[in-house]
Amino acid sequence: MSSIRRVSFWSWLWLLLGALYFLLPLYGTFDFSLRATRGTLSLTAYTNALTDPEFLRTFTFSLRMAVITIVASILLIVPTAYWVHLRLPHLRPLIEFITLLPFVIPAIVLVFGVIKLYSRPVAVAGIDVVPPLTNSVLGTNVLLVGGYVVLALPYMYRAVDTGLRSMDVRTLTEAAQSLGANWLTILVRVILPNLRTALLSGALLTFATVIGELTLATFLARPAFGPYLALLGNHKTYEPSALAIISFGITWAAMGVIQAISRGNTGQFAAGR
Amino acid sequence: MAFLELINVQKSFAQTAAVRDVNLQVERGEFVSFLGPSGCGKTTTLRMVAGFEHPTSGQIVIDSVDVTGKPPNQRNIGMVFQSYALFPNMNVAQNIGFGLKVAGKDGQETKRRVNEMLALIKLETLGNRYPYQLSGGQQQRVALARALAIRPQLLLLDEPLSALDAKIRVSLRNEIRAIQRQLGITTIYVTHDQEEALSLSDRVVVMNEGRMEQIGTPFEIYNFPQSTFVASFVGTLNTLPATLVDASQGHLRAAGHDLYTAQPITNAASGQQVKLALRPEQLRLSQTGEAENTLPGTVESIAFLGSIVRISIRVAESTLVLDEFNHPHLTLPAVGAPVTLYFPRAACLVLP
Repeated sequence: MSSIRRVSFWSWLWLLLGALYFLLPLYGTFDFSLRATRGTLSLTAYTNALTDPEFLRTFTFSLRMAVITIVASILLIVPTAYWVHLRLPHLRPLIEFITLLPFVIPAIVLVFGVIKLYSRPVAVAGIDVVPPLTNSVLGTNVLLVGGYVVLALPYMYRAVDTGLRSMDVRTLTEAAQSLGANWLTILVRVILPNLRTALLSGALLTFATVIGELTLATFLARPAFGPYLALLGNHKTYEPSALAIISFGITWAAMGVIQAISRGNTGQFAAGR
Repeated sequence: MAFLELINVQKSFAQTAAVRDVNLQVERGEFVSFLGPSGCGKTTTLRMVAGFEHPTSGQIVIDSVDVTGKPPNQRNIGMVFQSYALFPNMNVAQNIGFGLKVAGKDGQETKRRVNEMLALIKLETLGNRYPYQLSGGQQQRVALARALAIRPQLLLLDEPLSALDAKIRVSLRNEIRAIQRQLGITTIYVTHDQEEALSLSDRVVVMNEGRMEQIGTPFEIYNFPQSTFVASFVGTLNTLPATLVDASQGHLRAAGHDLYTAQPITNAASGQQVKLALRPEQLRLSQTGEAENTLPGTVESIAFLGSIVRISIRVAESTLVLDEFNHPHLTLPAVGAPVTLYFPRAACLVLP
């Protein structure tokens, strides 16, 4: 009995210390963000931040890029992960290694590599297959989305891989094939719908990555939210804190949505195994 | 011409031959089971018929069409899997209608056919349920209905009842057979359960190590096994080492006693060491009046199995098992008591 009490005490102690380490700075930031009006606690900093026209412009730009990144990631990763699961399981370690590379290669290296490669035509066997992309807005946006897809790759792939592991991909595929379905039908009508929760997790993590990303957007000179936050930090006092708290709030809300949907779908998608 | 033909079908994975030289003709409307232990090649053979595995060599012909190179979605085959494989994102009606939607059937026709199938499997009120809301038996019936909805030319079942408990297995297998008879659909059924194979099938293919050991009706497989493997795999079998004294007279010597078969022995030569195989239900502890063989022994143990009482009897260096039907007035010997075993000449199987 006394050994159980001792374990319980230490668990609570470490939990408390961890929580304080995380929550105290957050509380400090929140408290600071409420002191824009001298002598009173108010939401002035929040109002100033949210009504800034630059806030709306950069946030909507990053939102658009996030949506395009999510769609591009799904189109790239879902068929790849599906095929690896189904036909090439021996390649899984290699694919997993590739998807972890973005953690190892800093974004600054990525963006300079991208600029160097795509600032002039990309030729294969003497034929220009890709025009220079850095001298147009559309081209630069394409590079930005490409960079975001790379940065979000570990999150999206891991989410999709986990989703595929939770279902019997091979048998569901064979069942669909026996009923006359081709590959596209199988992907669209059987695999994707059963990956809804995984895709939502991956999408929200990708969204959080894109919204807060600074390096790529700064060096590609795009009007994204990350550079706006950095600029705000250089010129304003309380508004950056307010936006940091709002960012935390959005991220936690996204995590809550993922948790709620995952819990609700556990029973529904247990069948099929 | 047979409806389904497997012609010299072989399948190897790397250096391992999983299926060797399989030749089989299945008539239209026939129910054929592939029976064998795990790893014998029965599922691999089924998967080649379905198109999920490509034969290393040989041909598969369905209704005079060579389908060997055809992908699975072009063979019009219905398949039922061991794990049911219902689509979790679709309800029962949507699962059953999936193949029809893929084939481009209109909504009315799909709905009519789905209702037909729900009535066939007696789940008319469960069309809106999702797979996770169904029991194992219900899920398997939905899987069967889904496979049949597309009016396949061939129905394949890969150990469909393995994941179910014993009582459900018995009732569902009878349902499967009744539906198959009603629709007259040619069916291949893979199982390692001999009771399933023997009770359901028109013919049974017993497989071992990638080869077909024997093909025959359940009666033939059980009563006239052609190899030691078939004899021992199908049903319980007693074996006793014996010496073949005179093959033409069917005269054997085992456990120091002279025994006789009903027919001359053609699969072994006089003087050869053989195995005398006897089914437990053919042995008796009292005379029955037929021309009989006898062997003395000692009762080792008695096991009450419900409708059957299994008596183990020591005969020389071997133990033979005798099955008696249980009834309230059954008289059993005591453990350790000396007994005489009686069995007709026709019960003797001689295995090389």
